[in-house]
Amino acid sequence: MISSDTDLAPGNPRQGVRPLAAILLIQRAVIVVAALFLSGCTGAESPSFRINLEGRHPAEISDNQRDAIAETMEEFFGTPDEPRLPDGTGLNLKLIETAAGPVAGNADGTEQGLFRQHCAACHGITGDGAGAMATTFDPYPRDFRRGTFKYTTTRADAKPLRSDLRRTLLRGIPGTGMPSFAELPPEQLDALVEYVIYLSLRGETEQYLVQLVVDEGEYLPLGVDAKEMVLEDAVLWVAEQWAVVEQNPQEYVVPVPPRPVCGSDAERAASIARGKELYASKDAQCAQCHGPTGAGDGEDERIYDDWNKPKKGVTPEQTAKLARLYTLPLQRLRARDFRDGAFHGGSSPEDLYRRIHIGIKGTPMPAAGPQPGAKGVFTPEDIWDVVNYILSLSGEK
Amino acid sequence: MGNINRRQFVAGSAAAAGAMASAMAMPRTARGADDAWGDLKGRLVYDGEAPERKKLVVDKDVECCGKFDIRDESLMVGEDGGLQNVYIYVRTKDVAVCPDLEKSCKEQVLLDNRDCIFMPHCMSIWASKQKYYIVNSDPVAQNVAFTPLLDTPANIILPVGGDATWHFKRAQRAPVPIACNYHPWESAYVLPLDHPYVAITGKDGSFTIPKLPVGELEFQIWHERVTYLDTKDWPKGRMKMKLQAGVNDLGIIKIPPSALEK
Repeated sequence: MISSDTDLAPGNPRQGVRPLAAILLIQRAVIVVAALFLSGCTGAESPSFRINLEGRHPAEISDNQRDAIAETMEEFFGTPDEPRLPDGTGLNLKLIETAAGPVAGNADGTEQGLFRQHCAACHGITGDGAGAMATTFDPYPRDFRRGTFKYTTTRADAKPLRSDLRRTLLRGIPGTGMPSFAELPPEQLDALVEYVIYLSLRGETEQYLVQLVVDEGEYLPLGVDAKEMVLEDAVLWVAEQWAVVEQNPQEYVVPVPPRPVCGSDAERAASIARGKELYASKDAQCAQCHGPTGAGDGEDERIYDDWNKPKKGVTPEQTAKLARLYTLPLQRLRARDFRDGAFHGGSSPEDLYRRIHIGIKGTPMPAAGPQPGAKGVFTPEDIWDVVNYILSLSGEK
Repeated sequence: MGNINRRQFVAGSAAAAGAMASAMAMPRTARGADDAWGDLKGRLVYDGEAPERKKLVVDKDVECCGKFDIRDESLMVGEDGGLQNVYIYVRTKDVAVCPDLEKSCKEQVLLDNRDCIFMPHCMSIWASKQKYYIVNSDPVAQNVAFTPLLDTPANIILPVGGDATWHFKRAQRAPVPIACNYHPWESAYVLPLDHPYVAITGKDGSFTIPKLPVGELEFQIWHERVTYLDTKDWPKGRMKMKLQAGVNDLGIIKIPPSALEK
């Protein structure tokens, strides 16, 4: 009987192994089997959300604190089988209900339990990126609880649009274990997107609550005032951050100007040459991670994304100690090798423009384009030159 | 709820209720009168031998940064034992703010990239009133990255001579770490609050928080080595007191080295 509380003992991560086609097939088969287990076909009890104690020693958290957190979280968000939402979040509970629960077919022919069927084996019932399959992937499946999503059309300081998440479902993330779900009907994609946002909202709220109850040692039991504070300061606050982007796309979506047309080979070569110089410039620091020739072999071999950075200590001994406080082992981030031509966020010129302008949220890749309050280092014309240079490295145009 | 921001609505109602309550409760001679506000001061002393600050590994932009003596700033003890860079701040929710402080509040707080480190190492900012002005005074490109809980993340490139202005949208319950993706040894902390009642101990370990509202207040004390500084006087890094008008001098507070060990 597999429950979501299955502890993933930190094992040896597969270093630098990219799944071959055969392994991918086997993984897909195992995902289906795991999903069946999670779906309750074996008569398993209902799974529950796993508490987020990343970075904290479980022994230092009292039962009272655990109970206070679990009780408040269930009050606001319900359970994996029966989701709930406070008023005013702007999320669509009906869609969330479709994606929630055990895998089943409804009398009207619609499907239930979409998240458990398609996502939980990798992303976990809690959306913590620590499903049963997680350690087989490099990079790990996304942990939604930080509220950070890497590949968006929105500004560096903004949440994604629903259409950004939908795009990821449709395209998958080439070069990673995230497959395309383009074969799913549109209403199922909508339901999954909404459920991911629900898990993310839940995750950010829980971060706030754990900081309050565990780190700060807030007085227990949590009174009405404290819960009201969590509702206002966390749940509705984060929900507002999602809503404001959805309601004001003109302000939050980064405009991608038309790509300058290169009328001749000479013009293209000139653009690539400019891009190469900009790439190497001291202000942009691209080569530091991506290497002098864009082979992903920069001096910075020790880069980590925001999910893994906290696991890295100043010394190897410290890192070993920290490992005990986190579910998944420390995993390095790989700066993209441009010669591959396989870009996680999409390989079209417009996709690359966005990556350079916005940066990649949750990673050291910064915003090179202007954002509110900061001029950045590249103009839109600069960015197109750099895009042309990068595409030239894989023989693309 | 249409376009009404629920937070503003609730905050507005609470403010109105609070204003009425305080008007009815205590007849005050004049707004901002001396008996309505008090100062908190004290001096934190490290009760042990000051440890030597480790030299940090400087392996980027070495031509520029290698010439500075860059050392660990996570435990700074002054010559006379003063414990530096400890945050003391009010925890009480919706604390009353002295109008004088609103008036005298500076427009911005500065974070400088200078000599290949962040300066200052610890700062605070009044989130709703002050801008965070970030400057690069170094001859190499710099980066400033921080992820305040539930607030927008920052990952800003500062070219040589560059600057940026940042706004914190909300207060935090604890200081936020700041990093540089280009120069991994760099580190700093900023605490955005929705009030001005915070002090960071100086080189001699002393601190003053002026013009606090008289009455029951709860304070927190925080140091980057251990986060909430748990000591005899401040269990779990928290302290409740009844603040009096005038100067409330906590005197010398000795912090044992064990309290700062992770």
